[in-house]
This record gives sequence, C-alpha cells and structure tokens, in this order.
Amino acid sequence: MHPMVRDLYKRVIHVGYDYPLGLDYVRKTWKKVLRNPDNCPSCFDEHKNQIVSPSPACEREIRKAVGKGRAYIREMIGIIQLKKYRAMKKRYDN
Amino acid sequence: MKILVGVKRVVDYAVKVRVQNNTVDLKNIKMSLNPFCEIAIEEAVRLKEQKVADEVVAMTIGPKQATETLRTALAMGADRAIHITTDLRTDYMELQPFAVSQIFQKIVEEENSDLVLLGKQGIDSDCGQTGPMLAGLLGWPQVTFAANIETDGKSMTVERETDSGTETIKISQLPAVVTCDLRLNEPRYATLPNIMKAKKKKVDTRAAEDMGIDLAPRNQVLEVYEPPPRKEGIMVENMDELIDKLKNEAGVIA
Repeated sequence: MHPMVRDLYKRVIHVGYDYPLGLDYVRKTWKKVLRNPDNCPSCFDEHKNQIVSPSPACEREIRKAVGKGRAYIREMIGIIQLKKYRAMKKRYDN
Repeated sequence: MKILVGVKRVVDYAVKVRVQNNTVDLKNIKMSLNPFCEIAIEEAVRLKEQKVADEVVAMTIGPKQATETLRTALAMGADRAIHITTDLRTDYMELQPFAVSQIFQKIVEEENSDLVLLGKQGIDSDCGQTGPMLAGLLGWPQVTFAANIETDGKSMTVERETDSGTETIKISQLPAVVTCDLRLNEPRYATLPNIMKAKKKKVDTRAAEDMGIDLAPRNQVLEVYEPPPRKEGIMVENMDELIDKLKNEAGVIA
C-alpha cells in the first residue's frame, strides 16, 4: 500500500474516535473505499485479483486522491466541532 | 507575556454516564479535554500567534492517563506542559476546587506567569470555582465568562457575558486570571500530524502530594443520583380537552 494512503487511513481513525456516527462506521466505510479496485484501476492486478504496489504512472492520481481524502477529513472535523458547539450551547446557555 | 492555561481531563461530553454507589462510574469511559479548557488554550495560542504572548504553558492535574490530554493541548499549540499527578478523583468527589486553586497558585508563583487562562467550568463537576478562587488566593484581578479578550501585553479589555447582557471590563495592570466562555473562539482540532509533533515537546511531571498542600476535600458529597426520567406526554383530541387538562391537571390556567 502506498505510504500516503496508509497515513491517510491513520488520520481518519484518529478523527473517527470523535466522530458522532462512531468509529466502527468510519472504519467500515473508509476501508471499503480504500480497498475498492475501481478507484485505481492501474494498481489492480487482474491476474492476482488484488491491489499491488502502484506504478509510477499513477503516483499523481494517488496524490490527488489523498488530497481529496484529506479534504474530506477536514469536513469530518467540521462536523465534530459543530456538534460539540451545539451541545455545549444547549447545555450551558439559559 | 507568559500564559498559563489550566486544562482538565473530563468525561467526554457525548458520553452518557451511569451512576453507581453514589458516584459516577468512570471505568472504561471515554475521557477527553474539557471543551471550555480547549477554548482557553485556543485563546492562548492565538495570543501567541499575534506575538502578544511569548510562551504558553499547559497544566493539568490528574492520573497518568492525563498525559494524553496534555498531548492534545500541546498539539493545539502550547509550548510546554506541566503534569501534576494524583490518584484522587478530579470530578469533585475527592479533589475539590480549593485544593486545585492552591496547586495552581503554587505553580503560578514558580512559573511567574502573567496571565492565567482557565475554562469557565468543568463539564463533570460544573463548579466554576477554580478561576475565582485562584484569583482570590493570588490577589489578582479576574474576569469570568469572557467572550472577547483584547490585550497588548500590559492591560486588557475583556467583554463578559452575563445573564442580562455583555459587560466590558478594563484591567489596567496585568497579571490577571481570565475564565473563558463558549463564545470566545472556535478551538482548532488537534490533527494526527500535530499530535506526532507534540510528542517532542517537554512535559514536567510532579506529584501533587509532594507539594505541601492539603488536598483533602472540604465538602462532602452526600448523594449522587440520575435525574428522574421524563414522563411521556399525552395526546389530546380537541381544544376543549386541552383547556380542561391545562386548567384541572396542570393548574396553569385559572
């Protein structure tokens, strides 16, 4: 697996601890997406039927995809912060 | 200007706690940084980014698992951290605000801090007493429930949130103690790369029992119980029945 993808997954798990829908949901959905062979066809070896080390040709695609993933993590962080703010406001505002 | 920020490791706000044996059951429960303390750290880090403050020191009192809380505080931007270890329960059962503020007083005098930023209250004990008690022990001016802080390192103008509106207070001479309310700022989220970088920052560990302070609780908690569950509502058929119920059963109409 590409080291940037591994690092992305670690970031997702760290955010998933606080995510309102729960760590299990975050882990399941992200694992499904990261393992999906349709997302990087040039890395998927049909003979072996598994994801192999990426070729240099799709390095740029992988970096773009990791960038999108990191943007999605920022959205998740936004959801967490909003939920926390609303909960505190409801509890401590008269 | 040196800032000392007090943070507290509390039960996570989204966790539904259970009450057992007149205390809250703390086994295997998710703990995190108190939201108001996050706001205090964010304010301190913003003051450092505006070059008003030189150093931000985060401090916590708690068991050895509280280092994770300190790592989050360091990841948000604090420079150093002080960890006062104790095995007493920090949610008002064993360690109470008077002892906490005495510990803070000692550390403030050693660190020579100019500004102490605290959260307005801990979401587990809901006391809101540490800030004012600390200001009283030090003899410093204090502002609680701060919703906006402007300072240039020597004086500060703080807007306070009260039930009847906003109050503006000018403190002409630092040092001071400020307690932060919800609307002060939006705290940043400590992402994994920042937490990795924070592992290199310095954390001083001291034992609370060695500080020569009487940590015994001043108040005794007699009983802890859950609020009674909400009774379910009833459906009414028409307006007459509604008025009848309001008049006779609820007693809110004459």
